[in-house]
Amino acid sequence: MTTGAPLLALEQVEVTYHRVITAVQGVTLKVARGQIVALLGTNGAGKTTTLRAISGFLGLDDARVTEGAVAYRGERIENRPPHEITARGIVLVPERDKVFPNLSVAENLVANVPRGAPRADLAYELFPKLAELRGREAGYLSGGERQMLALGAAIACGPELLLVDELSLGLAPVVVQDLAKRLQEIRDRLGITILLVEQNAPVALGIADWGYVMENGRVVLDGDAARLGAHQDIREFYLGQSSGERRSYREVKQYRRSRRWYG
Amino acid sequence: MRGAVAAQPRGNHRRGLSIQLAVNIAVLASIYALIGCGYVLIYRTSRVLNLAHGELMMVAAYLLLATASLFSGHPLAAFAASALLGLVVGAAVYLVLMRKMTGERVLAAVLATVALGILLRGIVVLVWSAQQQYPGQALGWSNPALALPGGARISAAAAALVLTTAAAYAGLFAFLRYTRWGIRMRAAGQNPLLAAQRGIRLHGVYALAWGLSTFTGGLAGMLIALDAGLEQTMVVIGLKAFPAALVGGLDSLVGAIAGALIVAAAEVLLIHYVNPLLADVVPFLVLIAMLLARPWGLFGTREELDRV
Amino acid sequence: MPFASGYFRTSYARELRLVDTRAQAASLTVFLAALGAFPFVASSFLLDLANQFFLASIGAVALMLLTGYAGQVSLGHAGLLAAGAFTVGILVKEANAPFWVTLPAAAGVGALLGVVFGLPSLRLRGLYLAVSTLALYFVVHYVGSEYETERGFSTGIIVDPPALGPLVVSDARAWYFVLLAAAAATVVLALNLLRSRSGRAWRAIRDHETVAEALGIGVPAYKLAAFVVSSMLTAVAGALFAYYRGFVSIEAFSLFLSIQYVAMVIIGGMGSILGALLGAAFVTLFPYAIEALIEVLPTPERYANLVFAVNYAAFGLVMVAFLLFEPEGLVGIWRRVRDWFVLWPFRQRPLAGTK
Repeated sequence: MTTGAPLLALEQVEVTYHRVITAVQGVTLKVARGQIVALLGTNGAGKTTTLRAISGFLGLDDARVTEGAVAYRGERIENRPPHEITARGIVLVPERDKVFPNLSVAENLVANVPRGAPRADLAYELFPKLAELRGREAGYLSGGERQMLALGAAIACGPELLLVDELSLGLAPVVVQDLAKRLQEIRDRLGITILLVEQNAPVALGIADWGYVMENGRVVLDGDAARLGAHQDIREFYLGQSSGERRSYREVKQYRRSRRWYG
Repeated sequence: MRGAVAAQPRGNHRRGLSIQLAVNIAVLASIYALIGCGYVLIYRTSRVLNLAHGELMMVAAYLLLATASLFSGHPLAAFAASALLGLVVGAAVYLVLMRKMTGERVLAAVLATVALGILLRGIVVLVWSAQQQYPGQALGWSNPALALPGGARISAAAAALVLTTAAAYAGLFAFLRYTRWGIRMRAAGQNPLLAAQRGIRLHGVYALAWGLSTFTGGLAGMLIALDAGLEQTMVVIGLKAFPAALVGGLDSLVGAIAGALIVAAAEVLLIHYVNPLLADVVPFLVLIAMLLARPWGLFGTREELDRV
Repeated sequence: MPFASGYFRTSYARELRLVDTRAQAASLTVFLAALGAFPFVASSFLLDLANQFFLASIGAVALMLLTGYAGQVSLGHAGLLAAGAFTVGILVKEANAPFWVTLPAAAGVGALLGVVFGLPSLRLRGLYLAVSTLALYFVVHYVGSEYETERGFSTGIIVDPPALGPLVVSDARAWYFVLLAAAAATVVLALNLLRSRSGRAWRAIRDHETVAEALGIGVPAYKLAAFVVSSMLTAVAGALFAYYRGFVSIEAFSLFLSIQYVAMVIIGGMGSILGALLGAAFVTLFPYAIEALIEVLPTPERYANLVFAVNYAAFGLVMVAFLLFEPEGLVGIWRRVRDWFVLWPFRQRPLAGTK
């Protein structure tokens, strides 16, 4: 990890749904300013819950951060309402329902309360295609265009930290490659820190500086993205690159169990 | 209500009669449209059907009595002050009561508005008594009847109502289309979660919707009161405007205009040619027909039906 | 189970039984005896209150079946009461029909209207259904007032007290027993329906319509059945109301009456017959309580003409308060109080870590 205080730090965070169901437990992760950090894991590992704990969206599902702390620039922000989190400079690009379908592209980019001056122009700059589609209703966009619009609209809010939930979901590999490059551009040109939640580990580790792996509501591995990409388990279970001999079902199960115990 | 529609035609001149009927339809449609947009604004923004809209409109109209004595001699100032007070009352109702109902089941919110309506009716009688009042007199305004080409007549207040409705709709369209707050309001109506993620304060937007709804409803209420006097039966007019909003589609402003025209035309024609007693039931007959044929309304979104 | 401690139900028949334990049977007997003795000790004012409560409870139980159990919201309840009352009024006035004709006729009209009110429910849900019942209420109201004006009864129709042979039900005490029997029959009918197939189907529909359908429940048929049963009971209540008051006028069946019945269901507590009864009692007694409160004030005569308005405002306030703070209604309060006594001194504590 780089030196200095991190922009975002989660310390032993536990999230409880409906007062009884614990979704994530003891999650500790740090995002340093100017980095792209990837959060990997399979379905149900607790990635989205972790994002929601940061973005203030737990309250709507009758969930709360019941233990630990979420600190942004050193200030505690857990269990704060979402619009307040946005005002502090954390903006989420959600997994689903990421655009307003009956608003035009241009309207989508101004339907916000930005931090500082509104920056719809930035979105057009980053995604020139959006400028062409300016007048079209967002409901008629393709999946890739929709993701561009969602990213553009999030940028227009003037974030310091961008949370991206499932960048690659349902998109063609070419489009994903392109979007991943744009994320890098967002970081390099605008200095926006990015926390990227992904199931597609190769894409995420390809652009990230640091990676975390979650399983069963816990962080089980973390490390430099390049090193993580080379990690034996990651290669086998997330990158799908087998080390030669085929693994049996029993071995996979054994692996999962060991992971649970480490956590 | 009957007083709000301009004077009946004189003589048996057929053409004059049909023009007069057209004028009556236009006036009644304006009333329904101006009230109906309040239902649409709140529904479209927060998915709540506000059955207290008639009562809120009445409260705004009664406020005109209060401001009339404050600004005696300045009818326009009194009118504007009362309309703005309506805006405040609407927003306050949301912030004090309806805010607590967000996240509750849709029907609980509707029943809360029903209860609110009863409460407001009681308060109005307590404060202003149950007697009929004439804010026009308090303002020193005589409401002259105007002659229209073709022999039809229209009262000044009814004419003002038609113009106000046109202005209110033009204003609302511009507001929702071109202003930041308007776009935020539309966004919040489509996807409240995402709107909150973009930094929009939902409670602020909802309160604004309630305020605007009471503001436009109050304009209608005040003009009706100037035309026909003010008493508790005004609530019925508010309720009759609801079918107009639903026939057009509860989430569509254009629909509210179309619905208002349909309901008003049906009402005026049936009253004239069939039976005057039908006045209070025609809008609901139209509503039933619409619910059976096309429940989501002329311009409404079909998915609305599945929101329970 | 000689060695078991505690209380077990060992068969489905037992599970479905209305009166389960001996203690329940004993308290029910005492309660019935008290009800039977009441008219002989109560003043005529109290007797009238009791009669009003019985009338209200029939309608409230009917609406509870529809809204609290089958999940279909109706804002048109006053229309059905009016239909029952007017059936009696019209038959008495036009055909001089006796009690034993008018009451079944009212039930028949209610059933028919139940189908009419229920038909939109096959297509509409929630909000839109509530709106359709509201619209139908206005139509029934219109038909009633049209009849009154066309036939020249604009002030209302006088209805003579009902007679079954030589037996004329005219004094309050006789009415007490008639209405008590009617209310009790309604409650027993409702309880029986609820522990049968139809009751289970209604609850399934209320909780999740699509799932109910997937379980093989004929959703349209059961929805219609709920409307028909509820409307029939309500129309009978309306008919009894007409006889009890001896007078039918459309003025009595305002939209406010519909709202009062909805309030009974909400205030009493959704999904409970006991709740319907508690709600009916609350709403029936409420205006009298307000009046009594005003009487306590130093100069009651000054507020005499405000009673109506205060009543209205307070009623709205109470309804809002229940919706906001006690969504489970009076029955929820009753359960908590009962549990507190049952569990005392072992108090329940909320789970740790909750707010």
